[in-house]
Amino acid sequence: MTTLHVIAHSPFGDNRLASCLRLLGADDALLLCGDAVYALHAGSEPQRLLQGANLSQRLFALDEDLQARAVANHLATPVDYAAFVQLSLHYDKVNSWL
Amino acid sequence: MKFAIAVFSPAHAPSSRRALRFAEAVLAGGHEIARLFFYQDGVHSASANVVTPQDELDVAAQWRTFIDSHQLDAVVCIAAALRRGVLDEAEASRYQRPAANLPKPWELSGLGQLHEAAQSADRLICFGGD
Repeated sequence: MTTLHVIAHSPFGDNRLASCLRLLGADDALLLCGDAVYALHAGSEPQRLLQGANLSQRLFALDEDLQARAVANHLATPVDYAAFVQLSLHYDKVNSWL
Repeated sequence: MKFAIAVFSPAHAPSSRRALRFAEAVLAGGHEIARLFFYQDGVHSASANVVTPQDELDVAAQWRTFIDSHQLDAVVCIAAALRRGVLDEAEASRYQRPAANLPKPWELSGLGQLHEAAQSADRLICFGGD
């Protein structure tokens, strides 16, 4: 059973990202959207956390949220809404960190 | 594939817009939306009394148009709605309130509708946050 985790809160306001990374299974993936894309900000603590998690092809970010927040991202695969839908079907469940 | 989509944030929150864009992409991809469920502050996304500043996107109106044009099942949690002053004609009259702000296509109903949608759909996707 694989899960796509979705985080939409800033990593600077709470511990969702750290909790999620702790729970993330070997075949699970993480999608950052909204203010959560700030986690990809170069040189930040959340970015170091993401790098350390070694997600490679399992880390995604909603492209329009990256653009809206001018986050230069080299870590996550950018996705549009069509790809978001595809991702949600590729994984068995979607868990939003409300 | 069948999707159930739950919205936890009001129309002015980025996540309500994100839920709408996702729902549009679901239909554009040839999939089906079994039900939209508006819960907690998401009930404000259904209020007919939302007035959006002219230079901003009117997400509440876009939800209404989207639901109308695709004839979707759009359920607003009744308990969450009543405590936030989102009432249809029947509830406004039952509780003697001066106005109703939840016209069709929205339906007031219970949390069981979310459970049922989650059971009948292939995926349940929840939208909240910033």
